[in-house]
Amino acid sequence: MAMAWQSMKQRRFRTSLTTLGVVIGITAIIGLASLGEGFRVTISNQMEQGFELNVLTVMSGGLLTGVPSTFEDADVQNISRFDGVVLATPLIQKSFVKLFNDGKTATPLVTLGVNFTEFWTIYPDRLIFENGSLPQPIKNDTAVIGYNVQHPTEGEAFAYPSQNITIQMTLERAPLRIENLTFNVAGTLGKSGAAGFINFDDAAFIPIDTMRKLYQTNYSDMIFVRLADPSYSDSVAAKIQDRFGGAGEVRVLVPAAFMAQVETILNMVQIFLIAIASIALLVAGLGIMNIMTVSVMERTREIGILKAIGAKSRTVLTMFLAEAALIGLLGGVIGIPLGYGLAQVMGQFLFRFSAQITPRRSIITGTETQPITAVTPILLWQWAVGAIVFAIGVSIIFGWYPARKAAKLDPVEALRYE
Amino acid sequence: MTVVLEARDIHKTYPLGKVEVSALRGVTIEVEQGEFVAILGPSGSGKSTLLHILGGLDRPDKGSIYIDGINLSTLNDAKLAEVRLHKIGFVFQFFNLLPRLTALRNVELPLTLADVSEKESVKKATEMLELVGLKDRMHHRPTELSGGEQQRVAVARALINDPKIVLADEPTGNLDTRTGWEIVSLMKRLSTEKNQTFVVVTHDQGVAENANRIIQLKDGVIQGVKKGSGGIRP
Repeated sequence: MAMAWQSMKQRRFRTSLTTLGVVIGITAIIGLASLGEGFRVTISNQMEQGFELNVLTVMSGGLLTGVPSTFEDADVQNISRFDGVVLATPLIQKSFVKLFNDGKTATPLVTLGVNFTEFWTIYPDRLIFENGSLPQPIKNDTAVIGYNVQHPTEGEAFAYPSQNITIQMTLERAPLRIENLTFNVAGTLGKSGAAGFINFDDAAFIPIDTMRKLYQTNYSDMIFVRLADPSYSDSVAAKIQDRFGGAGEVRVLVPAAFMAQVETILNMVQIFLIAIASIALLVAGLGIMNIMTVSVMERTREIGILKAIGAKSRTVLTMFLAEAALIGLLGGVIGIPLGYGLAQVMGQFLFRFSAQITPRRSIITGTETQPITAVTPILLWQWAVGAIVFAIGVSIIFGWYPARKAAKLDPVEALRYE
Repeated sequence: MTVVLEARDIHKTYPLGKVEVSALRGVTIEVEQGEFVAILGPSGSGKSTLLHILGGLDRPDKGSIYIDGINLSTLNDAKLAEVRLHKIGFVFQFFNLLPRLTALRNVELPLTLADVSEKESVKKATEMLELVGLKDRMHHRPTELSGGEQQRVAVARALINDPKIVLADEPTGNLDTRTGWEIVSLMKRLSTEKNQTFVVVTHDQGVAENANRIIQLKDGVIQGVKKGSGGIRP
């Protein structure tokens, strides 16, 4: 080992160049890996903000195609008894509703009939009041207004808590049957985003019982299911499918599954990045092989001397492999901080261009996503260790052939070599 | 007297292009402990080949060699290397020092290979360099030393592991006459002082005359053996 170090010091320039190859390889690997990890975590966090992983949304298979209310209260009861289910609550959604208050008009995209207490238990962190709160007890004429309905334009406000507003509902369109009812505003919501294809910001909420009475129905359009833990997602979803006779009949939105898919994609991207970076290290390996082959040739006589005075082939082999391993170790040790530094710089500047894109609404969650302008790279210690092992491994593998050549030299011929 | 080297009926042929060249054709030698033996012969007489075979650097086609009672032909390459390390010292015509290492490190090398501790090997190597008169030059690299000094370092390296036998291949061949004499007398002195066995291959009659015994080799065969003027051993 000491001899390997000696020899490397003697060939400082060439060794530096070879080591530089390894450094570049490791820098690329660590840089891309830690940037990728940072990116993955940033994206995951952003996605998770838009998802309650422990909430399943059940809708009728044909909801999107216009097939109406199919769930009975018995279904809801049944689901709430499944293992891992904390709460299941029904929801009705209606369109063609107008809100009037003091000469102002607001048009929610949907009006939702919910069990307020239950529904707020499903989304405690999402449905946050900007003004007011849920009344206790809930009355038949309680209404809650979503953010966009309350603020048709920025700065404008439609109604305030405890104000009475008129809600005009189109109960039937042919023949046209319209009803004007007075509701009392309990509160207005902050930006809440969407879940299960419903954007809460564009919605008004009234009690489900009131809604059912008006529309004379006992059914509901959707069931929201809160789980004790996201891990129950698959089993509960399967049981729900079973109850309604298969996947075609009902749709169960499982955010955890979606997240898992996103994670899988992000992981694949990361592996892909590392694989590309690894090519750089393999090229560095070829550099090591090259320099060592030359080195063995140059030192043929020296190897002959060593063998003549009693060095075993193994010793010579070890000597050259130690040299290769040292190059790998050195390259790894230098490359890791460099790679992390590179990732920092890239994380700061690479995503700058996206800062020019205005915040946009996620089509999936409805929440406003801030564009990613910077990614903080994350370096896992396992990677640092892995990178060093990889660098040493590649060095030894590529150093093996020339080292073996050196070890196998015939001492007499090696001594004769000029 | 103990026999430290015994070679029986050594044969060796080399392929030279398409022709097989017989370098050695049945050489038998015995060397006793403390002897200073010269193998004298013109170039092409096979004396270097013989020395390589005696030292376990090369293997004979036929015949056997015993060093300190060990039959070299039964050993594998690794064991052979061990015998070279512990039982044999080499001195070459072109010194063959490692150019990057100081004189001290060069002398230490066999000890390093024998896993002797750094502290002890420095001590031993320093003593050995003192013995060959190079104590003040021990931190110089070979390129900073004269030919004679380099060969002294080589002698010191050959002796550092207390070998049973030192094999010298034209040790004066690359030195001027005066320096050559100095090296020969150094080896003579060590032979006497340490009862160290030497086998010196040379084409130089004058060098050979210093030996106790001169083995004349020509065309791979021993032509004759005579006593040198190197004095009668006690």
